[in-house]
Amino acid sequence: MLTRRRFVGYSALSSSMLAFPSLLRSGFAQTPPGSEQRPLRLAVLGSSYARGANLQTIADRFLIGYPFEGDWHLPNVQVVSMYIDEQSRRVAAGPTEFDRASTGARRGSTEATPSSELSAARAKQFGFRLCRNIPEALRCGGDRIAVDAVLAIVEQCNDLPYPSNAKGQALLPRYDFFQQCVQVFEAEKHSVPYFNHKQLSFSFSEAQSMVKTAQRLQFPLMASSSMAVTWRLPDIDVPLGASVQEAVMVGVGGFDDMDFDALEAMQCMMERRKGGETGVKSVQLLEGDDVWEAQKAGRWSKDLLSSALSRSDTPLGLTVLDGRNQDLANNGALPQLVKDPAAYCIEYVDGTRATLLMLNGAVKDYTIAVRLGGQDLVSTQFFMPPAPSETYSTCLASKIEQMYHTRTAPSPVQRGLLTTGVLEACLSSRHRQNQRLETPNLAIAYKSPAESQYVRI
Amino acid sequence: MAPNESPTKRPRLAAVVTAYRKLLHPQHIVDRFLEGYGWNGKYHYPAMDMVSLYVDQRGEGDVFQERADRHPTMKIYPTIEGALTLGTGKLAVDGVVVVGEHGSYPRSESGIMKHPHYEFFEQITRVFRDSGRSVPYFNDKELSWKWEWCKNMVDVSHELNFPLQGGSSLAVTWRIPSVEFPMGATAKEALCIGYGGISSYDFHALETIQCMVERRKGGECGVEWLQAYRGEAFWKAHQEGVWPQKLFKAALSRSSTLRPGDPSFTDIYPTVEQMKAMVPDPLAYQYQHRDGLRSTMILLHGMVRDFTFAAEIEGESKPFSTQMYLPMPDGRTTLASFFSPLVHNAEQLFLTGKAQYPIERTLLTSGLLIVGVDSANAGGKRLETPHLAAVTYQPNSKSTFWRS
Repeated sequence: MLTRRRFVGYSALSSSMLAFPSLLRSGFAQTPPGSEQRPLRLAVLGSSYARGANLQTIADRFLIGYPFEGDWHLPNVQVVSMYIDEQSRRVAAGPTEFDRASTGARRGSTEATPSSELSAARAKQFGFRLCRNIPEALRCGGDRIAVDAVLAIVEQCNDLPYPSNAKGQALLPRYDFFQQCVQVFEAEKHSVPYFNHKQLSFSFSEAQSMVKTAQRLQFPLMASSSMAVTWRLPDIDVPLGASVQEAVMVGVGGFDDMDFDALEAMQCMMERRKGGETGVKSVQLLEGDDVWEAQKAGRWSKDLLSSALSRSDTPLGLTVLDGRNQDLANNGALPQLVKDPAAYCIEYVDGTRATLLMLNGAVKDYTIAVRLGGQDLVSTQFFMPPAPSETYSTCLASKIEQMYHTRTAPSPVQRGLLTTGVLEACLSSRHRQNQRLETPNLAIAYKSPAESQYVRI
Repeated sequence: MAPNESPTKRPRLAAVVTAYRKLLHPQHIVDRFLEGYGWNGKYHYPAMDMVSLYVDQRGEGDVFQERADRHPTMKIYPTIEGALTLGTGKLAVDGVVVVGEHGSYPRSESGIMKHPHYEFFEQITRVFRDSGRSVPYFNDKELSWKWEWCKNMVDVSHELNFPLQGGSSLAVTWRIPSVEFPMGATAKEALCIGYGGISSYDFHALETIQCMVERRKGGECGVEWLQAYRGEAFWKAHQEGVWPQKLFKAALSRSSTLRPGDPSFTDIYPTVEQMKAMVPDPLAYQYQHRDGLRSTMILLHGMVRDFTFAAEIEGESKPFSTQMYLPMPDGRTTLASFFSPLVHNAEQLFLTGKAQYPIERTLLTSGLLIVGVDSANAGGKRLETPHLAAVTYQPNSKSTFWRS
């Protein structure tokens, strides 16, 4: 049984959550100089506006612009409203009115908000409305939809974590955010483009229903992370229509974490293979020594691992000790360096294989190698520049903006849907003692965009 | 006296370096010949052998003995002559790898560390002369801290007819985006924003500019004058548009390490006041090429940690710009992978017997650095540079930056 709350934020709250309808607008921010067209009105929905949160790093780009194509680009977008789940959840988690009256306990509202929460400060500086719930954010306090697009970035909050299920998935209310928007869209017979950061949901069936809803109501839906669209070193892709035999991607991070981003980055190369995407037939998540054994059994190829690692700038172990270069795939160091390896083994319907190796302890970056039909290898690194600027998200912001203005998602939402399903199935495999799982529900066929969608300019 | 080894034989190399410790240039460069490195999607071992090593300064943290123990082909010699002759009395190697960066040496009157590039060069070319034979010579970074010596090194390489290849890895590393300066284009203004301090990273920024602008129409035609801006004079010049704001913004917009001037944001374009607060010692060298191109090298240490380039190219509506990306083991990476294309180009030098890019580029940038420091020391006085006006050359048509 799910323990997460549905329809967060609907609770009628007191005026402690004041909106900021101020029309103050910072001079350098929201309206690009000389822009003729009315700026697109954006509702920002998310978990927390703490500094360093995905929401802050991405939504800020729509407030103050971002470096893109060799300029400081000011999107023709005006943030008009914002809903922050953490605020409402804090209130809900605090003492009730009765408790407060009887015990004198303080209310759990904005007063308890950590100083890192920036939404109130941003609302004041940029003159948008901070809202108590999602419908209010879409209507900006009026009675009709008053925004042209939605940016939804639902993520785990360190201070007030969302619960997790037995498979280790954080029960993030991405579906709930979406459903609340859809209720407004349906009630008013008017839908707007919707960006969902990372996976659609922890649940594939919820994700499927989201995609169907977007199709039914005919609004563009994009579910993506930055890694799929960031620069690549080298600037290279699987040639469209190339015969692909196998891919090995190397990444780091925990379960239900950066694995989504890595799987999606791998998927956006794999979907370009001959015949297009056919969907996934089975998955298996291996851990521990089984990961190395799987290579010996031919489940994944060492030469692809070697090729991927040749693109890494972050080998650990002896490189940290004395600076030397290492052929990590062949010098025998991996089993010592990686205490808890994991392999996300994916078999596609057309027989192609792909494996994501999570090698915490060996490297700190994300690389891939793909074997084409003629035995040629394509390999690259997904460039993830460091905090605080994390400029990889400028690439994502530009794609989001493109969707808002053209009302067309730059890449098919089926990629996000399939990746959502693959991740959930892999975590299910892990939960079931790393069994191989057939995935008939993941037979999702789609066509890749003809042009590569990662940033190259 | 040109290299005359048959191409099927593995070239034998001597390394002559300052100090061989973790993360010093000699470690990055010589290690790649010994340990191999990731290249073109494979783990690559150079098809040549490092057979000898001379280390000028030894001390705590040395790793060269550990390397020699694991790579017994490489013998350590107490003299440069020994490393080149392998004890035979005559030149016995097919190429020389010189890394004069790092180590601890006295400073010149103008404050530049007197790295021993020239002293190494003299000893090496003495062996060349005595043996009646010369071999390809790789020289990391600048030629020398003294202009006459820079010039002499290039002259001697012509006299003894050996390829001399130098310069910074900035000229050969990844670019983000992966673009090349259009060959034969007309450029009016060019600018680089980098980091680091005077008489050190300014060389990298100068090479960043030069590897691009040398491809303009007519090739490099020399530099007439240079003027340095530092401290308050820098901010005044910046606000007065001594270098184009448009190019400054374009270059800064290619940075992936811009520090937020307002701490509540993570990626925000700074105001001049915020820049001043972040950059206590800004530095610019502006210099005039003879064909009218004006170049500006800027170091904003404290605000960025990368090198970006922008140029105004005739016929283009917006500035041409890119980042010369350095995977930097200062916490961001563990490998300084920008040495991989540098070593790859050195390998090509040894395999083909041809310099992969003109040594005159490095001659010009070495000279610009010396004049830049002099101008800064003279309170930002514009200095005429007739000696640099004479440095003219054509670029190689082939691009040599990292793309594969």
